[in-house]
Amino acid sequence: MNHDFLPVGPFETGILMRAAAALLCAALSGEGLWHFARLPRITGYALVGLILGPLGLGWFGPADLPLFRVLMDFALSLLLFELGIHVHLRWLRDNPWVVASSLVEAVLTFGAVFAALVLTGNDARLSASIAAIAIGTSPAIIMRVVAETRAQGQVTQRLFVLCALNMTYSVIASKLILGELHGAFRGDWLIAVIHPLYVLLGSLGVGAALALAFKLLRGGFALSDEQGVAVLFALLLLALALLEMLGLPVALAPLLGGMMVKYLDPRPHLWPRNFGTAGAILVIVLFVMTGVSLTWGSVAAGGTTALILLAVRGGAKIAGVTLFGPASGLSVRQSLALGLALAPLSAVAFLLVEDIRVLYPDFGDRVGAVVLSMMAVMELAGPVAVQWALRYTGETGREQTS
Amino acid sequence: MTIGPFMSSAPLTLGVELELQIVNTHDYDLVASASDLLRVLEKKKQPWDVKPEITMSMIEMATGVCADYSEVLAQLTEIRDGIVACADRLNVGICGGGTHGFQHWGERRIFATPRFDQISGLYGYLAKQFTIFGQHVHVGCPDPDSALYTLHALSRFIPHFIALSAASPFVQGHDTGFQSARLNSVFAFPLSGRAPFVDTWEDFCRYFDAMAATGIVKSMKDFYWDIRPKPEYGTIEVRVMDTPLTIARAAQLAAFIQSVARYVTLERPFALSDRDYLVYTFNRFQACRFGYEATYVDPSSNEHRLLSDEILGTFDRIEPHAMALRADTACAALRQDVLEARSDAGLLRKEWTETRSHSEVVQRQCQRWRT
Repeated sequence: MNHDFLPVGPFETGILMRAAAALLCAALSGEGLWHFARLPRITGYALVGLILGPLGLGWFGPADLPLFRVLMDFALSLLLFELGIHVHLRWLRDNPWVVASSLVEAVLTFGAVFAALVLTGNDARLSASIAAIAIGTSPAIIMRVVAETRAQGQVTQRLFVLCALNMTYSVIASKLILGELHGAFRGDWLIAVIHPLYVLLGSLGVGAALALAFKLLRGGFALSDEQGVAVLFALLLLALALLEMLGLPVALAPLLGGMMVKYLDPRPHLWPRNFGTAGAILVIVLFVMTGVSLTWGSVAAGGTTALILLAVRGGAKIAGVTLFGPASGLSVRQSLALGLALAPLSAVAFLLVEDIRVLYPDFGDRVGAVVLSMMAVMELAGPVAVQWALRYTGETGREQTS
Repeated sequence: MTIGPFMSSAPLTLGVELELQIVNTHDYDLVASASDLLRVLEKKKQPWDVKPEITMSMIEMATGVCADYSEVLAQLTEIRDGIVACADRLNVGICGGGTHGFQHWGERRIFATPRFDQISGLYGYLAKQFTIFGQHVHVGCPDPDSALYTLHALSRFIPHFIALSAASPFVQGHDTGFQSARLNSVFAFPLSGRAPFVDTWEDFCRYFDAMAATGIVKSMKDFYWDIRPKPEYGTIEVRVMDTPLTIARAAQLAAFIQSVARYVTLERPFALSDRDYLVYTFNRFQACRFGYEATYVDPSSNEHRLLSDEILGTFDRIEPHAMALRADTACAALRQDVLEARSDAGLLRKEWTETRSHSEVVQRQCQRWRT
């Protein structure tokens, strides 16, 4: 008798099985945290990522990341596009103090982190690279916690705007410094100027194309929710493909595209928050996999610095926002909470580190050791900080129970 | 607890209060930003009268004492512009309309003052359901007895006021079929309805004291009547109107009420009787449900006629009074609306048919509020 149809040992747990287990653990731990402690679900996802990653059980390692990279990029671009739609450019014209507090907050953050690093004996190039990444707030964490707590109000909407702005500064500053690295490492100063410019203009171009395509499709067809989401997914995948083809960062174009959509068409945009079930699963992948990126090596190399930097960065953000908060129409209480809520750091920082690492592996590892350690702390504490800030200012609504 | 003395005020002077909606500019749902808006307004150091209302997504603006229509319009314009400028700074929208088209009452938050907390404790979800937006018009009266006379005489015109102001067809995302669905929320309160038929202040105080003795009411504010006396101001307050979509219409309605008040107090065209109230709730329901198309039952003759015909007849009768009060252009504009069957409720329905989106309807309400 032929037994060919039966499997033959030895059996290995393939990536599929590990992924299934990770998804299951993440979903259960997220739900458990929410159910028993009212803590944000994404903290649970990140926790599972850290436990299953090299720091814990070692089921996943940085070597697995490329497999999931496309899902992470996609999840992030969905969240960024939605964030962009929340940013009302006309408002920034009506209330320039919002822009002022954003600029001050970003400059202070960069300055404080840079100074702290230089003072602890790091070279200027490394310090600037890390400081540029530290400017940005994690859009993914903010979008998820706001959706989960159904928060609404001044702090919430400013959180969206300040996050969108500081993330943009962070990406641009990081590319400027990358340009400087081209100059320093390769002696090629022309590329040093052209590369950041190319990133900015290219992202604007892809963002504009995305916005126009979205507007045309929305105007041309009365799409139901389901089809609307499918169309949007397709457009964002297309944008991702374009960005990859053109060698542009994933983070900027969807955000700029979302902002242009809202600017071109101020009518209400009623996509289901965070794009429904499919989006929710992508978010789990995003948070678990960013947790996987951290190794003991980087914790040893950058852990202490990371903790100092987080304190400095948090203080700078709170101070920066509170300085112009009252002028922009917030109370002091709201300003402090807003500053705190800007603390999260996650996937965008990870992608910026990756971009440096691809071009300059050794230098990138040194940046990564610090940034990824900061990120690991913020993946867990960041969502809790945002949630606390929104509750403290009374902006959370009837909280989602399912 | 007793009512204080009835202050005298110059006859037929006007004061207008408008309850407004605060919405976000993302999906145009109500947003709990009243305290933010008030804080920003306060910094402007203007004498405008802007107050919180029972839930955090409402705000109330009020004029001072005005002599006539043009003064009402000027004051409303100034305060409206001030509020809109502050709202722009906060990226929130402000709009008129008697209800918010698709808000869910369960998500509303009570503005934390002792009185609002007490109301919320007593009425439970009714207090949150009370997220509705009305226009109140005060009419000055020289003495309490004339105030009570005007109050009961104006009761006949409640359907007129409702039909002319109706701006709340949608509730919780559905077309109610009503022109003014807002008033249905008011009727749920046990102390809503009409003032008792008494024609002297002495009798009125006796009624109030008896009610106060039962422990049900503490002040006049506990009565949610369609028209109620306001002794501190020396006015009666007409409270059945939806907040219109524009301040122009709000000022026109005030001018119309002023003209009717002058007509009934100077001409005394009919004798008042408790019997008049037999048809009161029927007429009021008809006006809420059908607007201009309602059936109006004449309290004196029991004759049935179309409310629009009754309103047009009223415009003819009050014309000399409107002219004397310089309210004639305002009344002419309302009259034209009746002739062409234009109403704010109709407009909202038309916009919903065009856009098929409650959010977009609210967005247009915000744009219209600026005009």
